[in-house]
Amino acid sequence: MDWDKLVQLLVNGVTLGSVYALVALGFSMIYGILKLLNLAHGDVVMVGAFIGWGVIGWLGGAQDPNVAVWILIVLMLLAAMVGCGFLGVAIERFAYRPLRRAPRIAPLISALGVSFFLQNSVLLLFGADFRSYEAFDLVDVEVGISWGPLNVWIIRIIVIASAFVMMAGLWLLVTRTKLGKAMRATAFDREAAAMMGVDVDRVIVKTFFIGSALAGAAGVLVGLVFGSINHFMGFNYGLKGFTAAVVGGIGSIPGAMFGGLFIGLADALSVGYIEDFTRGRLGSAFSDLVVFLILIVFMLVRPQGIFGKPEVKKV
Amino acid sequence: MRKGLIAASLGLLAAAMIATSALARSEATATPAQLASCTNVSLGFVGPLTGPAGFLGQEQISWLRFGVQKYNRASGTRFKVVPGDTELKAPVARTVARRFVSDRKVMAVIGPSESQAVRVGGNLYEKAGLVAISGSATAVDLTKGRPYTTFFRVNPNDAIQAPQIVGFVSRNLGAKNVVVIDSQDDYSIPLASAISRGLRARNVTVSRESVSADDTDFSSIVANVGNEVNVVVFATQVASAANTLSNQLREQGKKAVVFGTDGAYSPSQFKPRLGYVSVFAPDLHFDRSARGLVREYNRYSKNRSFGAFGPATYMAGLVAMNAITKACANGQATRSEVVTFVRRTNIPSIFGGTVRFSRAGDPLPTRFSFYKVTNGTYSPVG
Repeated sequence: MDWDKLVQLLVNGVTLGSVYALVALGFSMIYGILKLLNLAHGDVVMVGAFIGWGVIGWLGGAQDPNVAVWILIVLMLLAAMVGCGFLGVAIERFAYRPLRRAPRIAPLISALGVSFFLQNSVLLLFGADFRSYEAFDLVDVEVGISWGPLNVWIIRIIVIASAFVMMAGLWLLVTRTKLGKAMRATAFDREAAAMMGVDVDRVIVKTFFIGSALAGAAGVLVGLVFGSINHFMGFNYGLKGFTAAVVGGIGSIPGAMFGGLFIGLADALSVGYIEDFTRGRLGSAFSDLVVFLILIVFMLVRPQGIFGKPEVKKV
Repeated sequence: MRKGLIAASLGLLAAAMIATSALARSEATATPAQLASCTNVSLGFVGPLTGPAGFLGQEQISWLRFGVQKYNRASGTRFKVVPGDTELKAPVARTVARRFVSDRKVMAVIGPSESQAVRVGGNLYEKAGLVAISGSATAVDLTKGRPYTTFFRVNPNDAIQAPQIVGFVSRNLGAKNVVVIDSQDDYSIPLASAISRGLRARNVTVSRESVSADDTDFSSIVANVGNEVNVVVFATQVASAANTLSNQLREQGKKAVVFGTDGAYSPSQFKPRLGYVSVFAPDLHFDRSARGLVREYNRYSKNRSFGAFGPATYMAGLVAMNAITKACANGQATRSEVVTFVRRTNIPSIFGGTVRFSRAGDPLPTRFSFYKVTNGTYSPVG
């Protein structure tokens, strides 16, 4: 057993998983409140990545930024979170709210439309080229923790730490605040919550804001740690985030966090070991096979996901 | 009454079918013998204008437009460029091919840029007698055995690239242990396989990995690269991916350097601390005799950065315009005449020497160039 490789893969998996978890949280929150699969959520991640990229350019570029690196990263995260938060609110207002009483397929199609709209808008605004955060110029890849054969770039540590801080913040917001209580009430029974005096529309708007802000942060973290972004990157992150939300139990916040980390680790470990386990028959190209096989198995064995509760209907 | 309705419906259906088939036939009427007016001729560009290799197609079409403008000014012609975006997807490339084949104004296709797009569109161009001249499709089988008689390319193919890379990696870099990565497409799989075979034949230890064309994270692949590996050869069409791979190797403390195949040639996107890259045409930035042309292009494009993809496509455009002009000597031309004149091409090349084609449609003679990249700066090494 090559322990060095295993530890390195675990670090890679946790990095990837933290990003997936942030995306999955947005999926889960919106599904929990509206029972809507927001298929445009991955594209909000992409918009966040582009906002972050814009901030780097605006502040002098990665090679010679006008501010300290940590301030730059904080500003990128803030700009992406605020920008994507308002984008989420706009999406809810114009694409989903008018369809709230329509059959469930209608908002789903609307979500697909929003997804294409966002992709093509970014394509029109920024062109088709892959854009680079030049994060490797921002902070040299050799700066970080070097412990024996294990090397962890400081940006990777920042990404993991920021994702965990945001997840913890969301957890506190949902469990300890009045807004969190209103969100839980709305998710449990929208009509009953309204009758109890909860302003359901306002709660939905705030949920979209928070979920989209987390997606925006995820976009910046992706750009920072992997370097390049493009207008169709949202599809992959949306798909993996959705898978994570389903595995964890869609609608459940701890489930989304766990699901994200689980899928990230499965992704990294399958790339690392699929060839050994299949005795060379399958290469690293088939790692997605493992990830989606996990999704299928979960759907068959535990459709409600790890932290989800089976739906009970009164008859 | 009911019978009458059924009869009327059947009649309508038959009329619709006849109309549809007539329309379909008229759409596909641009045949090799089709005469075209020489005053309104277009060159169809087929390449990835968007998608992961968008940088490549954008550079190519920019140089093609530059070439067309220059040629039109010099010869009083009125060539136009019609863009056809493949998005680096084979099915989209086939749709683009259908569009150009049925457009009688299109007398030549510049491209397809990617080997997979030639594979899916080559037979359509051939049936319509439409010449396709690529500036970057390198797969060997596109010309081997002449599967598409109207396809030509101005760039050398992978039968030349693979052995040259094998020689360079084993001899110049002295590699004993190499990882070869493909990006799961028709371009990179055969090339990566040929390089692996060649290296193994020279007693180099080779392991294979594979990534998807739109992957942006290679850290788990990098974890598979042992410390004993000297070189990672990455057969990719996405230069930024080669850059990320190179940085992630450094991040994990791996000593291996990245050797990018021709798709990675991009001074603006592939800029590792130390790396190598091959390319099918010499970079004009290093050619003193091309200074005037580079200056002109910089003026035209407002200093848009470029590598080797654009100039090769410029050359393909010149070949096409030269052939169409000759075919149009009597005021009208057919697509087959254009093919004939392309086959007989013998014009000066911007890379030095002349452009001529072998019977298979490959350029004569030619070789790949290699560049060393140090802190993002390119310098020729062979």
